[in-house]
Formats: sequence, C-alpha cells, structure tokens
Amino acid sequence: MEVLLRELREGPDGIPEYHDTQISAAVVTIGSAADQRLQLLGKSIAAHHASIRQSGSQLELTCRAGKVRVNGELQGSAKLVIGDVIEIGSHQLQLVQPPVGFDAALELRPDKNIDASAFEGAFRTDLLQTWMGKRPTAWMAIGLILIVGLALPLAAVMMHRADRAVPAMMPGDALWSSGPLSAAHRQAIGDRCNVCHQTLFQRVTNESCGSCHQSIHDHVRPEHLALTQLDRTQRCATCHREHNEPETYLVNSGDGECLACHQNSNHTFGSLDVAPVEGFGGAGHPEFKARLLKPHAPDANASTMLQWLAERASIDAAVEQSNLKFSHAQHLDTDRVRRGGDGEQLDCADCHRLQSNGEHFEPITMEANCSSCHELTFDPSAPDRQLPHGKPRDVVLTLQDYFTRKIIDPDAARATWDQRRLPASADSLQPCNASAFACAMRSALAETENQFTRHGCIGCHTVVDTQSKVLADRFQVVPIRLARDYFPAARFDHRSHESQGKLTGGAACLSCHKAADSRESSDLLLPPVATCESCHSDRPLAERVTTSCVTCHAFHPQGSKPNQDAN
Amino acid sequence: MIHRGLLRYQGARYLWWALGVIAASVAVYLSQDSATQPPNGGTWQGYVLGTLGALLVAWLGLLAIRKRSYRSTAGTVQGWTSAHVYLGSALLIVATLHCGVQFGWNIHTFAYALMCIVIFSGFFGLYSYVRHPQLIASNREGGARSELFAELFELDQQTRVLAQRCAAGVAIAVGSSIERTTIGGGVSSQLFGNDRSFFIRGDGATSAVARNTDQQPVIDFVAARLPRAEKGAEAANLQQLIVFLCRRQTVLRRIRRDIRLRAWLKIWLYFHIPMTAALVIALVLHIVVTFMYW
Repeated sequence: MEVLLRELREGPDGIPEYHDTQISAAVVTIGSAADQRLQLLGKSIAAHHASIRQSGSQLELTCRAGKVRVNGELQGSAKLVIGDVIEIGSHQLQLVQPPVGFDAALELRPDKNIDASAFEGAFRTDLLQTWMGKRPTAWMAIGLILIVGLALPLAAVMMHRADRAVPAMMPGDALWSSGPLSAAHRQAIGDRCNVCHQTLFQRVTNESCGSCHQSIHDHVRPEHLALTQLDRTQRCATCHREHNEPETYLVNSGDGECLACHQNSNHTFGSLDVAPVEGFGGAGHPEFKARLLKPHAPDANASTMLQWLAERASIDAAVEQSNLKFSHAQHLDTDRVRRGGDGEQLDCADCHRLQSNGEHFEPITMEANCSSCHELTFDPSAPDRQLPHGKPRDVVLTLQDYFTRKIIDPDAARATWDQRRLPASADSLQPCNASAFACAMRSALAETENQFTRHGCIGCHTVVDTQSKVLADRFQVVPIRLARDYFPAARFDHRSHESQGKLTGGAACLSCHKAADSRESSDLLLPPVATCESCHSDRPLAERVTTSCVTCHAFHPQGSKPNQDAN
Repeated sequence: MIHRGLLRYQGARYLWWALGVIAASVAVYLSQDSATQPPNGGTWQGYVLGTLGALLVAWLGLLAIRKRSYRSTAGTVQGWTSAHVYLGSALLIVATLHCGVQFGWNIHTFAYALMCIVIFSGFFGLYSYVRHPQLIASNREGGARSELFAELFELDQQTRVLAQRCAAGVAIAVGSSIERTTIGGGVSSQLFGNDRSFFIRGDGATSAVARNTDQQPVIDFVAARLPRAEKGAEAANLQQLIVFLCRRQTVLRRIRRDIRLRAWLKIWLYFHIPMTAALVIALVLHIVVTFMYW
C-alpha cells in the first residue's frame, strides 16, 4: 500500500512545518528501534511496538508489545477509520483523508518534550537488554547438572540392579567415581559399581569383597577370635582403599591401623598371647618369637620314635633341639676346615642355598651339603666303599657283607687289612684264627661299634645303644629335624639383604647371624629384633630404612581358609 | 571508591585471614602420610579440608544476601566484599589441597572446574572493578551517559535541520545516517563495539544503502560535495554540516566506548553468578554422592 506520512516538525526557524514522506510497504512498523518505518522515541515505547496494515478497505492496527490508545481507549488492536487518533506513548498519530494516489495518510505529531534519555532507551546499551541473563543461565546449569549428575546416574544404578544393559552413551554412575578402579577390579567389574556399592549410603561391606575373594583369611581366625573380646575384625576397606590414585596405594600399608589394636592389646585379646607393640626402631617391638621344633618321644621305651612339636619361644632364651651335632664356628675356622677345590674358607652359601622365593633356603641334607666333605668311608683300603646314610640297620648289614666278602675273597690283600688303623680296639689288630665267617663278623662288629660310638655316625648324630643281641638292631640314631621356617607368619627377603653396606656374601650373612661364634647346634642363630632395628625404623630417620608392620608381617594368615578345609 | 578500598580494606585485614586459612590448610595437607596413602579427599585431612572448602563456598555465597540486606549491621558490604575476594582466592588453594590435585571425568572434578570458573571470573571482575571505572570516568569526562545522549540528540536535531537546506542527495544521506546509526546492540556488539550503521548514498535517481562505520563514510560523502557546491550559501551549509557530523562522530565514539567499557565491567557477573548457583548444586551433589557410594 502507498502511505503518505505527514510529520509535524519544528523547522529551521522554529516554525512548525510539515514533512511529507511517501511509504511504499505492506506494513508500516512503529517502534523505537532504528529499523522501524516509523521511529518513535520514549520510555513507554517498545522497540517493535505496533504495526499498521491494510485489511480489506480499512487499516488495521496491531500491537506487538503493550497497548495503545485509540480515540482515548486502550486497545491491543483496532480497525481504523478516517479521523481516528492513535496515542503511542506521548506521540499522536491521526488517520486522515488520503490524497489521490495514496491508500492512506497518517499525520504524526511527535512529542517535542521527549528528552535524550528516551533516545538512549531506543538502543540496547546495557547487557541487561541482551539475551544474556544470570537467572536463566543459572537455572539451565542447575537443571543440566541435576539431570546429568544425578538423574541419569541414578537411572543407570536402577538398570544395573535390574541387570539391564546401560547404553554406552548414557552418563552412568561412573560419573560418581572418585577415582579410577585398580586394574584388576576394572577388568573384573567394569562400570558395574553396584557389585561393591550394593546399598546407597552404606559403606562397602566385607561380604561384597568376600563374594569374589573367597580364599582370603580374615586377620583373626574364627577359633582365635572366640578367645578374644573382639566382636569382629576390620572392614576390608580399612586397609584396601579403592579409587586411589595411583592404584599402587590400593593397600594402606601404614602402621596406624595395626597399632590401633596392637598397641595396647591386653584389653581386647583375651587369652590370646599377643604382645603389645609400640612401633619399630625404638624399644617398641617385642623380641622375636621363633617357631621351633621340639622333639617329643611319646613312648619312653622307644626314645628314637619322635614326634616334632612346634612351639613359639622368644629367641633370646630359646635353643634349637634338632639333635644334630654341629659347630658353625668349626666349619668357618680356616685352620680346621677349608673348602675342597680352592682351599678357601667355607662360605655360608656353600651349604645354605637360597630358594627362588628369596626367603627360605633349600633343606640341609647329608647328601647335598655334608657328604662332599664327610664321606662315609670305613676302610682306607677301599676308598670307594661308603656306608649307606640314614639307615643304621643297613650300615650293620653293609659292614657284615663287606667283611665277609673281604675275608673270603682270595684276591683281597689280607696284610693290608691286618695293619689297618683300628683305633681304640686293640683286639681287632690281633690275627683272627677263627673261621672266616666268624672273623668277618668280628671285624664287622668292631667297625660297627667304631662307627656308632667313636668315629663316624657319632660325629654328627646322637646314638642310642639298645644293647640288643641282634647287632643290626643294637644302635638307634636319634632323628634330626632342622627347622625350615622360624617365622611362618612373617616375611623376610634374604636376597635384598645380601649386601649389608660394604659387606657382601658370607660376611653379610655373619653381620646378622652370629655363626662364627656358635659352637653348638643348640645355638639359635636368629638375629634379635635389635639387629633389624639397627638399620630399620618405622619412621623416616637418617641412616634408617623405613619399614611398616606389613613389610614383615602378613595381615592375612597364610594357608587355606578354615571353612574350606572340610571340602 | 569501592574498587580501591576493596583490596586495602582495613589494612588488607582479610588478606591476612586468607593467608592464615591457606597456611592452616597447607599444614593439614602436609600432615598426610603420603608414604602409605596418597593425599586426597578420602583421608581425614581430606575431609577436614573439604568441610572447610564447603563452608567457604557457603559463606562466599552469602555475599549475595548480605549486599541486598541494606538494614543489616553484620559488617559493611565493603568489608564483606574485601573478605569475599581474599577468602575466595584462598578457596582455590583449599579445594586443590582437598582433592590432592587428582582429577577425572566425574562429578567431583566437575564441581572443582565450576569453582575455578567462578573464582577466575571473580578475578576478572576484580580486575574490571579496579581498572574500568577510571577509564569510564575519563571517557565521559565526568558526565553521565545521558548527557552524552543529550548532546547526540541535540546534534541530531541541528544536523537534520541543516541537512534539509542542502541538496536532496545530501539531505537523504545525512538524514538516513542519523536514522540508521546503531549504538550498542547484542552482547558481542556491546563488548567489541561493532558498528553496523548505514546511510543512503544516493545521486538523484539512484540510491543505495551503504555502510557508515564510525560515521566516516557519510562525512566523506558530504566533503566530496564541497568542491562542487555552486552557491556560497550551500558551501557554508555543507561546511557546517561537516562540523556537526564530525562532532557527532566524536560523541558516538565516546558513547560506544562507554558501552564497551560498561559491558566489560559487568560481563564477568554473567558467569560468576550463574556458575556460583551451579557450583552450589554441584557441590551438594559432590558431597551426597561421596556418601552415596561411600
């Protein structure tokens, strides 16, 4: 439509004059914004306030914001007729008779008193007028957080519990994780938090752990727990801290939890013999108690039929009862013993061979450790003949066989036999005029007695002379049992102790184990706690290596779980 | 002036408070035995630092209430704001020690990130409050923004009247340049002072809408007419018109600069306030979730 806009303005000389403008547009927009066809200023005028368009033969006014007065009445929209006066803010707009060639004519009488502040209002000059808002942003952010951080993870929890798959893209309860799972748990559990976190707001229970870790012992075995006033042992999670970074901290190896119970054990441990411990490195650790084997003969008439009973004893007072006769001092004395081959002093490792676990040693046996020096020869003229070890009856039979054969063998050198050294047995040197068999038996008897009572077996073993008429049964050797693990509940790494400062090899061993002064096998060569504490401490100190309780002590008892023994 | 007093309020009393909070937090943090357990929110020290951090967040948020409570006598708003700045900065250290610098893709680190946004937007706000008021005052030369607009409006009127006396092309160009001058606008226009003004550049029969950035094109347009002016009166009008247009240009520059500076002075609040609300929710969620999956 063609609209003539006649504007009453103040001319250059202050005289009001009309300005005519022709508008060719379908809609005449009215508002304070710069892009409006009819720009009217004022506080009460919106950027896009109203518009006038042709509707049939009439003009129609529509308000987009607020209302306008048409002929004095507030209206949101109106059909206009010639002569209508529209008040927008303080401006007046009148519909007048259009001249020829125009569809409509509008006469505008702007309010001359509109000041500059109204002009300013036409522009958006403050961030408040933009889309940015504090509250909408806040509500949106809060909504988003509650949905992503709470609602969706809760839904994932429900789905996990219902054993339904959670879509990969959905933010699940992994968002609640306070840190990465350790690798083994991640592999076994994945993102199914409910495997451990079974009840919301409840700490992870030992039962959750035990559902997988079925072979792990509780710290206190049930039969021991019954002797104490403790109602239960610790939560697994007291020491095993998941979601830690780095995951090497999965086990809390600090002493605090141990000392919480063991520092003052008298109150809680009932009849269990648990010594209180203050720490390590000061005077806080009790002396070591070794597990020793004690021989016990149930039948007094059969003193070599032994049972070995384990007993724990403080090492400062305990003695070994292995029944072996052995002097470490003698074996380390170069005036008396030198190694075969190079003639050097014997080294600890020549006999004590460390097992691959680094803690224990291969068992000491006659065959592996003694026989290379201590041959069981009995006849210098037959250095290749040795007595069988470990079977006294066979020793007698072997000697009888040997001498029988030797006497009746025409090729044997009798002279050598007669001149052999037979200590302490003067009559054996005398010629034998009896039958060959009787002579052989006499020689066998002499040598048997020599082996079991003077030289040979008696050197290392305790021998019981039963005075039996049957020579094969007369001498009984008391069995030997060497302890292999003095501290079954503790850990010790010999390998990491093979160097002690500048000491290596046997010297390093002797720095803890006082073997060079030990003349009796009853000597317990275990170092006292003070020896450990000369290098180790429970706190970082100069020239001390820090150790914690669990460095040596296993929290979980070794072996199979009691309730599984029945299976 | 508030921006000066903020940092030096009562001899920077709250700076010492904040340093005290930081020192105490560091002491608690260092008491963790990292040989056995890593320092994080799960140790008792972590719980202590977390509680301290949460209390700090709650107190810092109370500034929103205190500054609206005009009748309150619980310290001056200036004092509260000074403490808000210093203790808010300390919170960054407390929270970092609380988490043991351990981060992940989870709700806990998200709360930490929100806290960082809030604190760093606060730092920017502090910078704005220290720097911008002086710039704004010197730009306005002590006057109010409405005075600048009044001057512009006055110039618009005079320019418009004078343009009516000139040739049609000049009248249309100058008149349209006034009508199509844009000031401010959207967020980026306010922050960066984008000028999307236009004018109608016409020569009798043809006319086109042309850019009028910084009003320079319309000044050039009118100036180009000057040598061709036929009558002395027309030349004088054109010269006067150029004077008005140049004065208008100067006023517009000041207004735009004023809008820009005011926008930069306030923009941080549009992050600081909503992110604070989000942080409080995320923090509550962080605490609830911690005990939900204990």
